[in-house]
Amino acid sequence: MIDVVFQLVIFFLFTAQFGELTHTEVDLPRQPGEQEASSEKPTFVLDINERGELYLQSDPITVDAFVALVSKEIQRVGSPESVSVRVRPDRLSTAADLNRVTRRVSELGVSRWSIATIAPSGEGAP
Amino acid sequence: MNFRPKHEDIGDASGTLPMTSMIDVVFLLLVFFLVTSTFSVSEDRLSAAAKSQRVGTGASDLTPQIVDVMARDGVVVFAMGELATPDARELRRALASLPKEPGVAIRVHDDATVAAAAAALQAARDAGFEKRSYVPADAR
Repeated sequence: MIDVVFQLVIFFLFTAQFGELTHTEVDLPRQPGEQEASSEKPTFVLDINERGELYLQSDPITVDAFVALVSKEIQRVGSPESVSVRVRPDRLSTAADLNRVTRRVSELGVSRWSIATIAPSGEGAP
Repeated sequence: MNFRPKHEDIGDASGTLPMTSMIDVVFLLLVFFLVTSTFSVSEDRLSAAAKSQRVGTGASDLTPQIVDVMARDGVVVFAMGELATPDARELRRALASLPKEPGVAIRVHDDATVAAAAAALQAARDAGFEKRSYVPADAR
């Protein structure tokens, strides 16, 4: 009995995704998207809520501050090609908010970016 | 008064684990994790190259097909050449008939919604375009 309970405790300890807690709750666009490659982790994950406010790891951030962070990372790694940005936009937000970020990030030379989506219920990524 | 410890207490001090208390603690942990765990839904992604407004102006570039995502009379439409439709499936069908090598640029206007931009990217992906660019349209 105690063995089983310990197994359960260890299971929950390992599977509780504490990293996910750093994301802001947003209603992502409902599209099948592409299968997530487990080895490919974006350098930055930026959340945009329905009011167009930006969050980085649950902390509010301005476009300028975010661009400064990306710029610093580019300097650290030496090339904008090595930096990738994943945006988690709320599906109800306007593209203006997404465009504000994309314009500034692409000016830095970062072209690797993606939009996080969520598969519509009953569908998986192809 | 007898202050001498009882026999079972002596047994505990000698290294035997108090199983009852242990199980209490473990159950408490188990209930804590059961209650606090949130099973997050796995996310997918739509990848594209972020591009500035100038698309395919290089002399050696094949000019990519441009899809405009914009609002017209309060409705978000996908516009490509003569086509202007609010239906992403129609856009996908139109894109599927085009050559794929030059790629496609999804030019998203500020008045469009993120959901529509994602739908256009998805349509381009489903139509077989490997090279997809997200281009923010010039702010008015």
